[in-house]
This record gives sequence, structure tokens and C-alpha cells, in this order.
Amino acid sequence: MKTPIIFFLSACLLTAQETPDSRDRGTSRSKVLELAGAFANDGYKIRDGYWSGVLEPGKPQILEVNLFAGNAYWFCAAALAPAKKLSVTLFDENGRPVEGEVFQDGSTSAAGLLPDVSGRYFVRLELVEGDKAEFSLVYSYK
Amino acid sequence: MSFRSVISAVVLLSAGLLVATEPLTKEQVKSAVLSEAVTIPTPGEFFSAMDEQGQPNWTQLYAPKSAGTTSSREQMALMLGVLVADGYIAVEAQDGQGVKNTGKEIINLAKKLNVSQSVLSRGNSINDFAENNDWSALREELEATQNEVKLSMAEQKDKDLVILVTVGAWIRGTQVASDFIAKNYSPGLAGLLRQPAIVEYLLAELAKLPDRMQKQPLVAEVEQKLKDIINLVHTKDRTPPAPDAVNAVAATMDSLVNDIAKGSKEP
Repeated sequence: MKTPIIFFLSACLLTAQETPDSRDRGTSRSKVLELAGAFANDGYKIRDGYWSGVLEPGKPQILEVNLFAGNAYWFCAAALAPAKKLSVTLFDENGRPVEGEVFQDGSTSAAGLLPDVSGRYFVRLELVEGDKAEFSLVYSYK
Repeated sequence: MSFRSVISAVVLLSAGLLVATEPLTKEQVKSAVLSEAVTIPTPGEFFSAMDEQGQPNWTQLYAPKSAGTTSSREQMALMLGVLVADGYIAVEAQDGQGVKNTGKEIINLAKKLNVSQSVLSRGNSINDFAENNDWSALREELEATQNEVKLSMAEQKDKDLVILVTVGAWIRGTQVASDFIAKNYSPGLAGLLRQPAIVEYLLAELAKLPDRMQKQPLVAEVEQKLKDIINLVHTKDRTPPAPDAVNAVAATMDSLVNDIAKGSKEP
């Protein structure tokens, strides 16, 4: 997951395959699918299901997920204005932060992980800068 | 996304950002959101991890189940989930005709449950993708079909059936996986069965079903057997389930899938 990601992401963000449904255009979901589409170009399969809500400063949202060792994952999130900066952080089943890669670009953010053990993990989504805003999160795996 | 953003992304990535952070508090862990659409993995994710750990021969593992005749909506919902998992197995086997056949069974069963027209059009998409051997698109289409069936059920006040579709898919995926792992045991493969949080979630959702549904013999059997296996997939110290435990999970899941396909015995 490490070395080629710099190269593939630069190319892929320009040619992202995932075309958001016209009904979603201008939403946080369309924005997050644009980011996740970049990973799809590297063989990641995007889950159809997504998580959305409202993010407020100082009130991170935490999602429980179940991951399999052997797969690689990217958790992508996006928020609309007035959100300015988001962060995505991953934790193991005991709530300890896990090592992985991160991507951050204003109000879009992503965290990548190669879990060494299958089971429960947590994804924390935090508004680092900006005001209360709608967000969406999707993940992809390969 | 603008070109400037792309450059920015690349710069940030190349810096290898990994921010040290505090662990979650117990309260934060307890407050975590469980959203079925993302908290519960698809059979496709499970199978993708199996590919990495054990390289199964999917063509041998693709032995699709057919829905027996039943008037029980609960059984139909469970069977719908089983068929969705079968669709993923056919995709792994790269069996285009198998995907089409399973897709047709899914749509036929969905019709019996009176789902909306939008779901039925998914059948055509599955056929088109299968015709073109577009396996990646098929994985997404299977999940999208399952999600649309669930949405349609919820819209027509059949919300209680939604969890049964999820349960059916999980049972079938786990049956195929545990059977393969039992015959090809390795700690890496067995570790994939370590899914206590999923079983806990499914049991908690089943417990919310109306009494009349929980008393249905097949639903009661599913609930009991999930309770039977929870300790087998809930290992301490993150260790993989032992061979005996894998065998027990495989036997339990096998009997459940057979009963879903043919209907449980009356009490």
C-alpha cells in the first residue's frame, strides 16, 4: 500500500472512475465518492453503503467497523462548507490508535490501514477547522 | 478536485503523515455508531480476505442454493441474503452464467416480497455486467441490489425483514468460509472467523424483532445457533479460533443454510 500510492493518487484523482449519481451532485456524498474513486483506480472496491451526518467542532463522531486481516482498506470522508479541515483516525478494538497512512486535503480526508488481526475497529471523524457541516464517509477495500 | 488540490494531496502524502493521537476513552468506544450499511462487511470483503490468506478454488466452492417454496416472508428474507452471498461466490469463481442465474433467483424472490420496480431493474444490470465479465462492477452491483431491496422493504413497512437479509448473507458467507477453513486450517485463515462484534450486532438486531417473528421456528433457530457460536468466534488475546471451533462453526452454519433453503421443522 505504501510506495505506489503517491504516484497512483496523483494520476487517479484526475481520472477518477466513480461518477457520483446526478442526484448526489454537490453533496458530501458526491465529494467523498470523488476521493474514493481515486482509490478505485488502484483496484480498491468501494462499498455501496455509506455513513453520513452532521459534524460539529469539538464533537468527533466515532463509527464501529469490522475488518479482515489480509485486506487493505481506505476510509474516505468529506464535508461541505463551512467545514474547512477534517481528520480521519483509526483505532483497534481496544481503542488504541493504529498505524496507517493518511491523506488530508481541506475538507476531505482519508486513512488507510492493513489490519493485522480481523475484528472490530473504530473510525474517528473530527472537524479540525471550520463550523458545523454535513459529512459523508465511505470505505473501500482490496 | 482541482489540479492544485491534487498536487497538495501528493505533497501531503509524500510527507507520510501519521499523527500521534490519544487512545479512545471507554465512553467514546461505547458511544460508537453502528450503521449496518458500513459496520457489517459484505461477503465480498470476507472472500477477498480469504483470497489473500488461502487462495480457495471458488469454482469448487460455488454450489448455489435454491429457494424452496414457502409463504414465510421471514424465510424468504433470509434466503434472499443467502442468494446475495451466492452471487459473490459466483463472482469470485468468475462464473458469468452462475452470476446471471443467481441474479435471476434474487429478483424472483424480491418480486415475491413485493419490492419496488427499481430493484427489478438491477437484475438487468447484473446480467449486463456478467455478460461483460465486469467482476468489480458486479461486486458493487450485488451490494447495491441488496441495499435497494432493504430500502424498498423499509419503505413498504417491512423494515423488520431487513435484518434477516443481512443475517442470511452473513450465515451463507460464514458457512462457505468456515467449511473451506476447516478443510485447509491455518491460523491466518481461522483468524478471519474472529467476528464477535458482528454476531453480537446481529443478535441485538434479532432481539428487536416483534415477538411473532421471533417465535417463528426458523428465526428462533437462527437466533439460538448464533448464540451457540458466539463464544467460538470470540477468542481471547486476538488469537484465531482453534480447529475444533472452526469445525463447530462450519457444522452449525451448514445446518442453518440447509434449514433456510428448505424451511425449519415445525416445533
